[in-house]
Amino acid sequence: MSLSDTDKKILQRLQSNIPLTHRPFLDLAEELDLDEDLVIERVKAMVDGKYVRRLAPIINTQAVGNSATLAAMQVPDKKIDEVAEVINGYSGVSHNYLRKGRNKELPLNIWFTMSAPSQEKLEENIKEIETRTGFDVRMLPTTKKFKIGVKFKIYRKG
Amino acid sequence: MTEDLDIKLIKYTQEGLPLTKTPYKDIADGVGMTEEEVIGRLKALLENGKIRRLAASIAHRKIGINSNAMTVWKVSQDKVEECGKIMAAFEEVTHCYERPTFPGWEYNVFTMIHGYTDEECENVISSIKEKTGLDDYVMLYSEKEFKKVGVRI
Repeated sequence: MSLSDTDKKILQRLQSNIPLTHRPFLDLAEELDLDEDLVIERVKAMVDGKYVRRLAPIINTQAVGNSATLAAMQVPDKKIDEVAEVINGYSGVSHNYLRKGRNKELPLNIWFTMSAPSQEKLEENIKEIETRTGFDVRMLPTTKKFKIGVKFKIYRKG
Repeated sequence: MTEDLDIKLIKYTQEGLPLTKTPYKDIADGVGMTEEEVIGRLKALLENGKIRRLAASIAHRKIGINSNAMTVWKVSQDKVEECGKIMAAFEEVTHCYERPTFPGWEYNVFTMIHGYTDEECENVISSIKEKTGLDDYVMLYSEKEFKKVGVRI
């Protein structure tokens, strides 16, 4: 399946708030000059086709009382997969990447984000990762937010 | 504090709204509330910022946004505010944060840049350099994705 212009139009709109009304897809359809059944059908197809992960509330973890941090580690190449697996085992880990500096070499190579129900629990998990892997974890929590709002520009051409 | 019923509602909806004509009615039936209550609570959670958005999470790689450069910048303390605002204004910059430094780590401003190609990300970086006058930065491209899931409670 590839996305049609109609799909892209729907997808672009769905990255902003979905109406909180009795018939939200009808309201969206009217806004986009489309038919309600078609909008629902195309959203289902895009979820099935894995273009859309889900339509859901995007939670502000801190506001609901959770603590979160970005964390980084310096791990030798041959240990990377093993360490990544330990990190992935924590349910509060939402992102975990191997990253390399392109214009400059940096020692930190595994980067992950973790949230936990409290700061204590977060720090406990991080310590546990250090113990289990034998490598230090650097916590880089946000001190100031300038922007958070993953909204992508969906190209309508091609 | 977040009320138990709000937590219950968030937990129920975080895997995805039902794709039906009346999703909030269906959620209401599932959690044992009225449709009005579901809509009212979700509105309140959006207003008080506990929910950032009620929207689609898209698989950006799948739609062709293949390049993701986490770029870290060394910015002097008196310029953080100004530079942060300039960076955040770019559409391709999806996240922009200040973070702590420590011995051996001097990069205090982080921008997540998404583009269809690496070249597109690098054009954004060039514009940021030009507009801020910053020149100490590192582009950290993702080489491998070990995990990427939405944040759940």
